[in-house]
Amino acid sequence: MKIYESAVRKPVTTALVFVAIVVLGLFSLSKLSVDLYPEIELNAVTVMTTYSGASATDIEQNVTKRLEMSLSTVSDLKKITSTSKDNISLITVEFEYGTDMDEAVNDIRSVIDMQRNFLPDDIDAPVVLKFNSSMMPILFLSASTSSNPQGLYKILEEKVANPINRINGVASVSISGAPQREIQVLTNPKKMEAYNLTIEQLAGVLALENRNVPGGNMDIGSETFSVKIEGEFKTSDQIKDIIVGSYMGKNIFVKDVATVKDTLKERSTIVLTNGEVSAMIVIQKQSGSNVVDIANKINKELPNIRATLPPDLELNVVIDTSDFIKKSIRSLSNTVMLAGLFVMVVVLFFLGRWRATFIIILTIPVSLIAAFIYLMATGNTLNIISLSSLSIAIGMVVDDAIVVLENITEHIERGSKPKDAAIYATNEVAVAVVASTLTIVAVFFPLTMVSGLAGIMFRQLGWIVTIIISVSTLAALTLTPMLSGLMLKKDPKRGKLFELFYLPIEKALNALDGGYERLLKFALKNRTVVIVASFGLFLASLFLLRSVGTDFFPETDNSQISIQVELPVGTRVEHSRILSSHIYSIWSEKYPEIEVLQTSMGQSDGSNVFMSMGSSGTNLISYTARLTDASDRDRDIFLIADMMRADLDAIPEIYKYEVTPGGSGGGMGAGSSDIEMDVLGYNMEDAAVVAEQISDLMKGVKGLRDIKISREDYIPQLRVEFDRDKLAMNGLNLTTAASAVRNRINGLITTRFREDGEEYDIVVKNSINFRTNIEDISSIQLYNNAGKPVRLSEVGEVIEDFAPPSIEHVDRERVIKVSGTIYKRALGDIAKDINRGVSKIDLPENIAVKMTGSFEEQQDSFADMYTLLLLVAMLTYIVMAAQFESFRDPFIIMMSLPFAFTGVFVALWLTGTSLSLIALIGAIMLVGIVVKNGIVLIDYINLNKERGMSVMRSIVKGGKSRLRPVLMTTLTTILGMTPMAIGIGDGSEIWQPMGISIIGGLTLSTLLTLLVIPTIYCSLNVRDIKKIRRAHLKGLKSKN
Amino acid sequence: MKAVMIIYNQAHSQVVLEILDKCTVRGFTKWVDVQGRGSKRGEPHYGTHAWPSKNMATLAVVPQERVQPLMLELKKANEMAEDQGLRAFVWEADVLV
Repeated sequence: MKIYESAVRKPVTTALVFVAIVVLGLFSLSKLSVDLYPEIELNAVTVMTTYSGASATDIEQNVTKRLEMSLSTVSDLKKITSTSKDNISLITVEFEYGTDMDEAVNDIRSVIDMQRNFLPDDIDAPVVLKFNSSMMPILFLSASTSSNPQGLYKILEEKVANPINRINGVASVSISGAPQREIQVLTNPKKMEAYNLTIEQLAGVLALENRNVPGGNMDIGSETFSVKIEGEFKTSDQIKDIIVGSYMGKNIFVKDVATVKDTLKERSTIVLTNGEVSAMIVIQKQSGSNVVDIANKINKELPNIRATLPPDLELNVVIDTSDFIKKSIRSLSNTVMLAGLFVMVVVLFFLGRWRATFIIILTIPVSLIAAFIYLMATGNTLNIISLSSLSIAIGMVVDDAIVVLENITEHIERGSKPKDAAIYATNEVAVAVVASTLTIVAVFFPLTMVSGLAGIMFRQLGWIVTIIISVSTLAALTLTPMLSGLMLKKDPKRGKLFELFYLPIEKALNALDGGYERLLKFALKNRTVVIVASFGLFLASLFLLRSVGTDFFPETDNSQISIQVELPVGTRVEHSRILSSHIYSIWSEKYPEIEVLQTSMGQSDGSNVFMSMGSSGTNLISYTARLTDASDRDRDIFLIADMMRADLDAIPEIYKYEVTPGGSGGGMGAGSSDIEMDVLGYNMEDAAVVAEQISDLMKGVKGLRDIKISREDYIPQLRVEFDRDKLAMNGLNLTTAASAVRNRINGLITTRFREDGEEYDIVVKNSINFRTNIEDISSIQLYNNAGKPVRLSEVGEVIEDFAPPSIEHVDRERVIKVSGTIYKRALGDIAKDINRGVSKIDLPENIAVKMTGSFEEQQDSFADMYTLLLLVAMLTYIVMAAQFESFRDPFIIMMSLPFAFTGVFVALWLTGTSLSLIALIGAIMLVGIVVKNGIVLIDYINLNKERGMSVMRSIVKGGKSRLRPVLMTTLTTILGMTPMAIGIGDGSEIWQPMGISIIGGLTLSTLLTLLVIPTIYCSLNVRDIKKIRRAHLKGLKSKN
Repeated sequence: MKAVMIIYNQAHSQVVLEILDKCTVRGFTKWVDVQGRGSKRGEPHYGTHAWPSKNMATLAVVPQERVQPLMLELKKANEMAEDQGLRAFVWEADVLV
């Protein structure tokens, strides 16, 4: 018994099987986590080696080069980049996407172990750091208080950070910007010198005074007592009354030589939220946990936390990364629903019968829900890719059911009983249905095998569509005949109201049939004209390709902009602060779209990994702006970012700035793309000149912003150079002298003040007045072992100097990178402009220039896509050739492909969209979708021919009878994609190009397929007939 | 006794069975998947791509008096759906075992 026969004969079993699928799917759906993208394992490992005291060049030659050489032997390697700075070597090893990173890290470790013996003796062991997407913070909170900033850190730690840390899945909560308490003993060097005291002595005394000492046990009578001496400071006030020495028989107290301040740390990050001083709380998740789940838990906990806080403390969410995810997913779900509705309307429009429409529409939920089971089983999440896959498939899942139902209806109308009709009619079309499904699978299945970044994005798409389409075919062969057998009737009665509505539609459809018949007859009579004209159109559209730009990923508006402002090196925090509030006042007025503007500046206090990863300094101000939802504003982040650039240009103090729409590290597809030019060459002077030229050139290219040269500037420094001979003469050694300088400027910590279980540093250093100019350094008094004082100026000098910048490598070659971000122009066009300019530059010997960045990735993945296109086209051809058992018929059907591409180009050109990876994927999908129409048409024409009709009659009759099914399946697919192409809601920009290219390609190719395919078919068949006639004529002649 | 050969579109399978029951014809032999085509208008039934439908054939040997009602019922069924195709032929059945 065939599957459809059993399905019709056993309706209960069939129904329950599908109910089970739906229930299982809904269960999976309820368990699925939500995320933006499928999980991507970051493909980079960093090797960090410290070699104290070595200069950048030393590090490069002795550490970086050696390690790079051996690391380049690791398998699956994509790229090695490195930075050699003073004291440190950072090597980043990038792997191909999809590499097993655990294995890669092991390989790296063993390679490094092998090299260990060849590295300089006194380096620290290289540290291997594996980066993880979970290192990105998921939530930023800001806390501001109008009173008691001293206690802020403690309150935040106890009442905010700790409760959040207890939430399952939270990895770390770090607080920055909240000043930490510190007890400072600020000495006056002049007074110290007068009393013959040193900072080291003072600090030593404090350490000795601040101590609890156990004094052992004593038995008194029958009891044992422990003896304790509690010498620790009870209050910070006690410090000033400590005796540090005596001079001329009198005691010298701390207060005589220094001031004691119980205050906040001098240098730390200052964080402002909307112009007000605040603290920032950064929350990171554990790897493998879900962003949305954790963010939801934290948001649920926040009201409870707020309740415990003092009333003047305001706690706000600055950035919630789950927000964009949730919004994107919601808008995509709406897109799917809308697509479903459109499909329903089309089916009802063409069939004009409620029951038939119901039967067909039922396949949509059944097959879509099956996809959730797959997601659940493979541990995937509900993300943009999986939801878009549903949106893509929704228009195609009804196709098979339509074909089956149509044939069943025909059989019933010819007098079969519904049940028999259901079995035998399904039997007749089963092969064709399976074949057309196979063409779709032939397109989507290879997507699961794509490698690289595109592979991660499209693997899920490939699987989901393959599964959905397969399930829909299964439903079309079982559920649809079963329901048809039960529900369809011969000549169903139509309601009067329905008749009123539907009669005009029916008339229009009949008129359409007639019109198409006449048009087809005309085309068949003027075959050469039709064929030449349509191929002319295709060739003409290739010229359009010039004005359609190419891109890698479409830019998305995630309502975030991050801005880095760099003032001249050495600018003091106070100065930066004045400027930052100036910028804030400009922006808050100019851009009402900004909801929260967070500013951080000053040195990182190293309290969290994320903050210390970025460069920090007193001259850097970084802003993070959160804007209102994309749908609520007219200006997108790219426009606002560009306007901000103009604002920053107008401020002369600013040395450099960078405005990044989308924020840094917002994940793939978020924000804008970048372009990078690598200047490769050993001679750094030559390379710097070329880099400078390229940077000037890039500044002149339209659509490029934030041009940056990677080689940092020389940083001004004060270098203390001791004369060893003089040091020796004075009985000093370098380390003593150097640490004396450090202790006076940076400070010396020998003991800690304890209060309420917390420890605070007690720092001894020169008072701020004695730390302001070069004189202050050179007048530092050093003491030798004999206690004889020597001024620093006598044994060394202070030189104003510049620290040399770091040396970077790409694939073991020295490099200077020039990069820029792209603003509203296609990547391909910009790349072309830059390359044209670079070719004019006269390169010095041994200097090469290479384009990388998004452009390199685009080129790589485009090359992959073209291979994929060929593969897909071949597979589709094989499937069709097998179905028709002919080489020629699938070839004729394939003729509709060029017009699909013409449609893609026209649609992209009309909408001003550029050809991105996503649009290209759309074009590949078209291969499968477009040939379906041809299959339906040619199959029926062949059938007519086999039934003995003439070629012309077969074509005209076949075309006329297949017009409606072709239009119907095409319209369901087109309308299913429409919500995606229009782009509603946040994050829709990513998939818009795919919708646009599929709609464009499918529309044009369907219209032309309906004329061109029959025409070519006719021409080839007529040629056959003529050949036979000629042969026959020859036979006749030879007989005579 | 008469032999009645009924050849019909497979979609009539159920209908023919019901008619036999109705006319109290108990014994019959049935072939599924037989091919053929009508002499005048009848479409071919080959089970091929061009002519996907197939026929069935039922041979029943019935007493003389039941032939007429049976043929009437079959005629009625055929007229209900003429496009499907149903034909019945009657001939003598002489020797019975």
